[in-house]
Amino acid sequence: MVRPFPYLLWPHLFATRNRARRREHGDSTRALLFGGVGIVVCAVLFQASSWLAGQLTDYEELGDYLLRLGLSWLFLTFLSFLAFSGVVTALSTFFLAEDLRLLVAAPVATRRLFHARFLRTVVQASWMVVIFLVPVLLGVGWAKCAGPLYYASAILTIVPFSIIPVAAGTAATLVLVNTFPARRARDLLMLMGLLFAASLVILLRFIRPEQLLKVESLPDLTDFFATLQSPITPLLPSFWAGETIFATLRGGRDLLHAGALWTTALASIVGLRVASERWYFAGYSRSQEAPKARFTRFRTLDVVARALPISSVRRQLLVKDLKIFLRDVGQWSQLLLLLALVLVYLYNFRVLDLQRIPYMSEFLKNVYAFVNLGMAGFVMATVAVRFVFPAVSAEGNAFWIIRTAPITLRDFLWSKFWTGLVPVLVLTEFLTIAANEFLGVDPFLKVMAAIAIVFMSFALVGMATGLGARYPRFGADVSQAAGSYGGVAFMLQAVLFVIVMIVLLGWPASFYLMHQFRRVPLTAGQQIWMTTCFATAAGLSVALWLTSIRAGVRALEAMGE
Amino acid sequence: MLPVRPMIAIHDLVKQYGRFTAVDGVSLEVMPGEIHGFLGPNGAGKTTTLRMIAGLLKPSSGRVLVNGHDVATEPEAAKASLGFIPDRPFIYEKLTAGEFLRFHGGLYGLPEEGLDDRAREMLELFDLARWENELVESFSHGMKQRLVMCAAFLHRPRAVVVDEPMVGLDPRGARLIKDVFRTMSGRGVAILMSTHTLEVAQEMCDRISIILKGKIIARGTVPEIRAMGDGHDDHLTSVFLKLTGGSALQEIDEVI
Repeated sequence: MVRPFPYLLWPHLFATRNRARRREHGDSTRALLFGGVGIVVCAVLFQASSWLAGQLTDYEELGDYLLRLGLSWLFLTFLSFLAFSGVVTALSTFFLAEDLRLLVAAPVATRRLFHARFLRTVVQASWMVVIFLVPVLLGVGWAKCAGPLYYASAILTIVPFSIIPVAAGTAATLVLVNTFPARRARDLLMLMGLLFAASLVILLRFIRPEQLLKVESLPDLTDFFATLQSPITPLLPSFWAGETIFATLRGGRDLLHAGALWTTALASIVGLRVASERWYFAGYSRSQEAPKARFTRFRTLDVVARALPISSVRRQLLVKDLKIFLRDVGQWSQLLLLLALVLVYLYNFRVLDLQRIPYMSEFLKNVYAFVNLGMAGFVMATVAVRFVFPAVSAEGNAFWIIRTAPITLRDFLWSKFWTGLVPVLVLTEFLTIAANEFLGVDPFLKVMAAIAIVFMSFALVGMATGLGARYPRFGADVSQAAGSYGGVAFMLQAVLFVIVMIVLLGWPASFYLMHQFRRVPLTAGQQIWMTTCFATAAGLSVALWLTSIRAGVRALEAMGE
Repeated sequence: MLPVRPMIAIHDLVKQYGRFTAVDGVSLEVMPGEIHGFLGPNGAGKTTTLRMIAGLLKPSSGRVLVNGHDVATEPEAAKASLGFIPDRPFIYEKLTAGEFLRFHGGLYGLPEEGLDDRAREMLELFDLARWENELVESFSHGMKQRLVMCAAFLHRPRAVVVDEPMVGLDPRGARLIKDVFRTMSGRGVAILMSTHTLEVAQEMCDRISIILKGKIIARGTVPEIRAMGDGHDDHLTSVFLKLTGGSALQEIDEVI
């Protein structure tokens, strides 16, 4: 008896169920944190969309026009996201998943395999979009007092709207895999995706959206939205989805666009199934081939490392870590996004218009210097959790090589620390010094911030290295280690540390600035008090740095017990 | 003349996981130049014992000495004399074979001068020379296994611990490994080798220890072990099955 295709999804469903049942240390903290963040994000989306839709109601026809454009724009954004997500997910579900060896070898018809895999691809590629869309559409419906037809049509619209771009993405993957080896295609896609995201972040910031909030720029705003409409827009599923929902929002119905959505979705499934029956196996077969990998040798790295005044063991560990990092697109490509955020970060300080309030500008500049220090601390924590925390986990299943080698785990962990410290320190020092320069803050604060960053880098990189050693995930994808219990614990401690540091440094520094502003010299007692605060901050950083590394070494040593 | 000291010596080694005792008072000595086979059914405690010798697992009690150095108190000295070849060859996939060997040499404190030549020598020996500048991720299982062996012999260890050396190797690779092991033992390297392939043990080992449920149940040269069976079979298989309780295998015929 041939079972229907959902049977092929059983292992995945069972695995999900078993994962949910398994209890791990820190599960409740993680659930509380991520669940809490999720609920807050959904609430903010709901509130913002219902507020915006409510505001637009006051503008009669213009409001309706803007809402209609807004919905179309929203769906257009998600359409491109879903198509890209479809390509990446299909690559994994159709060609790279481990269980395919079992399924392709089994007497399973390509058609059944396609149905099962496509369903999984649609769910995996679209769940995030759905989670974002639902509170937004609920918020709009709430503000416009929409009836049950609106909510029913929203559900009936989201389903085909998700299927069409994912099907297009899957088709693109089918072509891609039949052209390039699957593993190289994955690297290429990852890079393209992050470049796309990075340029989007920069673009969105450089068009200075804050200008659009000014009343005098309202005509510009409508022009801005109008430029998003092009002759091909009505041919896109995003337009059909926007129109269908907008019609039910006004109490009517738009069967033409709803029909277009559903027929296109069904046609794309049928078309894709036919293509899959014709080309899937050829593509899968190609994805199994192990092509001669292309890579960069990084000979300069060897030459530079040889010139460093460090022991041979540390040099080899450093070269190994850097080469592995640089050759793994999945690891370094996220730096592109980070670079974009850094640019935006500095740009924000560049365009900060403090002269609008002249009598406060001096005071504000110095306050911003502390905001800058705090931001640099958070950037440091984020970089550390993504790139330093997984350093031990990155050894993966090859960790036996280190553990059977005649080196101490202490040397190994310190090597990880120094490898992580240098880039983090350079990046955050650059950010702080450049931002303070743009702001033109008091020289005393500039020096203090630069020194504070050194101490904070040691503490945070030490904490990330130590906690990474205490909670390693050797089997997991390195990029996922940041979301593990240890990663979350690190972020919580890091945020707390940054806040304490800001208080310990900001309090005496503001005292100093106040005296300087009033041109009153500091008393000896005040100077002692300031020194005590600064020394406490330095002491706290050093203590955290050393105790974290020690705890990490102890945890690594206890690993064989 | 000074008495010959064992290169690998384990005394009353015990490893417990909660209430379960995986290794229960195992003692063993491997002399320089000896190839010692470590046999036993799945789950008997072979890999656990080897991992304790390699310093990957901490024994619950007992001592492990490699070249006279206690793995617990002088781990670096003990590990410097040892080469370890695990059953599954996990290596850094994003390094080339040459880079991996240079890294490995650095870990074992080999001087940088001459390291490239030594790495090439080992790659030649294990028939991997033309893959020196290729990423490990493009290697087959057998090639990775041979690369791990290159690394294990790179620093000229006095003792080698091997867990299932023939898994995933083609006949040519298996022949090569056997030759290398024999040559190395001829040069005085002590080799402790766990295997399921009884023919390999029979062909290569000077002495054999059989472990069952964490305890050594038989030890001796191949003729001595063979004598523990009924004496009618030239192969170790029947002795192994007799000693490890493999009589259930006879039921297979009925089931099939």
